[in-house]
Amino acid sequence: MTTKATTSRPDAADRGGDVRLTGIGKTYGSFTAVHPLDLTVEQGSFFALLGASGCGKTTTLRMIAGLEEPSSGTVHLGDQDVTALPPYKRPVNTVFQSYALFPHLDVHENVAFGLRRRGIKSVKKQVAEMLDLVQLGEQARKKPHQLSGGQQQRVAVARALINHPKVLLLDEPLGALDLKLRRRMQLELKRIQTEVGITFVHVTHDQEEAMTMADRVAVMNAGRVEQLGTPADLYENPRTTFVANFLGTSNLIEAEVDTRGGDDLVVRAAGGKLALPGARCSAPAKAGGKVLVGIRPEKISLTHADDAGSVPEGRNRVTGRIRSSSFIGVSTQYVVDCPACPEFEVYAQNIDRDPRLAPGADVVLHWDPAHTFGLDADQSVLAGTTGEAGIAEGGAA
Amino acid sequence: MAFAASLVNWFKRNLVVVAGLLTLAYLLLPNVVVTVFSFNRPNGRFNYEWQQFSTDAWKDPCGVAGLCGSLSLSLQIALWATLCATALGTAIAFALVRYRFRARGAINSLIFLPMAMPEVVMAASLLTLFLNMGAQLGFWTILIAHIMFCLSFVVTAVKARVMSMDPRLEQAAQDLYAGPLQTFLRVTLPIAAPGIAAGALLAFALSFDDFIITNFNAGSTVTFPMFVWGSAQRGTPVQINVVGTAMFVVAVLFVLAAMAVGNRRNRRKA
Repeated sequence: MTTKATTSRPDAADRGGDVRLTGIGKTYGSFTAVHPLDLTVEQGSFFALLGASGCGKTTTLRMIAGLEEPSSGTVHLGDQDVTALPPYKRPVNTVFQSYALFPHLDVHENVAFGLRRRGIKSVKKQVAEMLDLVQLGEQARKKPHQLSGGQQQRVAVARALINHPKVLLLDEPLGALDLKLRRRMQLELKRIQTEVGITFVHVTHDQEEAMTMADRVAVMNAGRVEQLGTPADLYENPRTTFVANFLGTSNLIEAEVDTRGGDDLVVRAAGGKLALPGARCSAPAKAGGKVLVGIRPEKISLTHADDAGSVPEGRNRVTGRIRSSSFIGVSTQYVVDCPACPEFEVYAQNIDRDPRLAPGADVVLHWDPAHTFGLDADQSVLAGTTGEAGIAEGGAA
Repeated sequence: MAFAASLVNWFKRNLVVVAGLLTLAYLLLPNVVVTVFSFNRPNGRFNYEWQQFSTDAWKDPCGVAGLCGSLSLSLQIALWATLCATALGTAIAFALVRYRFRARGAINSLIFLPMAMPEVVMAASLLTLFLNMGAQLGFWTILIAHIMFCLSFVVTAVKARVMSMDPRLEQAAQDLYAGPLQTFLRVTLPIAAPGIAAGALLAFALSFDDFIITNFNAGSTVTFPMFVWGSAQRGTPVQINVVGTAMFVVAVLFVLAAMAVGNRRNRRKA
């Protein structure tokens, strides 16, 4: 669970690369882009700000860079308060969305730009080393427009990294690349980060990207941090419906609390009873109160109704009828209609495929109660989903 | 028949080239005439009919009284007008694109006014203005007038370039430790340079051959276009063609040199 990159830290006592945001907020007139938030990014870690467009993640990043003036709060790098410093005096560099490479300079001069501005005369060796790190040694004399998207992206990374900033900010750096290249660059960036041990703050709207690359992720929604944690923690223990839906897919069932026995919570939903660990319920659960019960699609097993007797005791179970199934290769994705939840999604590994599990078949869905989580019922079930309603709800939340 | 068919085919394939060459010929024909007649030895005072090949005029370009003086004056005025209009116009263009201030919209439209107004009207009103101010007509009034009408063209050319500039480039420069001055010198100016150069060339050309506004506001000073006009009343010396041809050749050499420099730079970088 702990994925903090302790190995990449050159000096554990040096906290100069910590980013500390205290009560930082940004308003434009009457519109609040970022509600005052507190955030600490540890030195040497790979931190992701994840959210849909317009959630305030880029504004937050630009306030760290100094390109946006916060309406309130302070930015600290290590012990230094940099809130009042202009961008060119902050030991921070940015990889911009669409890279912002200088079109009139070649690759070498683009990368050397920061060194030259700080009055360093002999840049040749450093630039060559940096270009080797991003595997662009051959392209040093080309102009940016002569490079492919992936190469431009690497120039942008090299141009920022060569300055050995305390923090590297990445503003959707992979957004313009096609899917395959994006996957490769994710690994590449992760490799570079481990190699140089610099704090990375990465802004993205791609939840998979955030989870693959980051040690810690802050999920942002409508100018607020919804939840902060390791990717696994956010995925397994979402605390809001937005996080549950935005990171992967969740099946959410409206339920009523029945009893609380020991560590477990028993709820009633659509005539049946479901159990979940009390510790995994972020809602105040008293008997008779409403909760949303969540379960990830890949945690669920699917059994044909004829074999219902073979389902072991002690598992949560829900009955329904398969509406559709799609074969994805490694798995088959089913949509199941059940009284508890109209569109129950189930991902089944293609190990032993039961030919009876076709659309129209009656099935029993069952899973380990330990995989169940509980959420406050006072929020939209659709927040964070990609549909119309989800976006609208996400924006209004 | 086969020959005719193949000719038609050839024509079809090369239609664009043929059309391009014809258009080029249309553009260049006046220049050719000017050049050819610079080698004429006219019979009488007017250089309108081809008589005999001669290089007399080329050997003595200043042989006509007042020609070289007026040419040098025109070049000086064009140079200063270009410098001032380019500097001021670039500043205005940046202000209009980059800053939000009151009356920005109005200024944006007013900038076009000198371009849209009939030149002769502007010339007459300028004269009125200068006379009312008690200004001595001459070099300075011409220069002031030229800077004024060149400004609009420079602003328009530079504005187009600055508007298409990604503001993130300057943010990137700032992010890479360049202060405001360094950012301007190292990033903003080089990227805006093609627009500024286009504006400057336009200003030079406009100022050099302006006649109407100059004629109204020159007093007793004579610029090159005024000299040509004046001499055309009495006869056209061949030297006018010599100057015209020389200007054309200089411009072509200028373009060729720029292309050669660009090519060499590209080859070295590749």
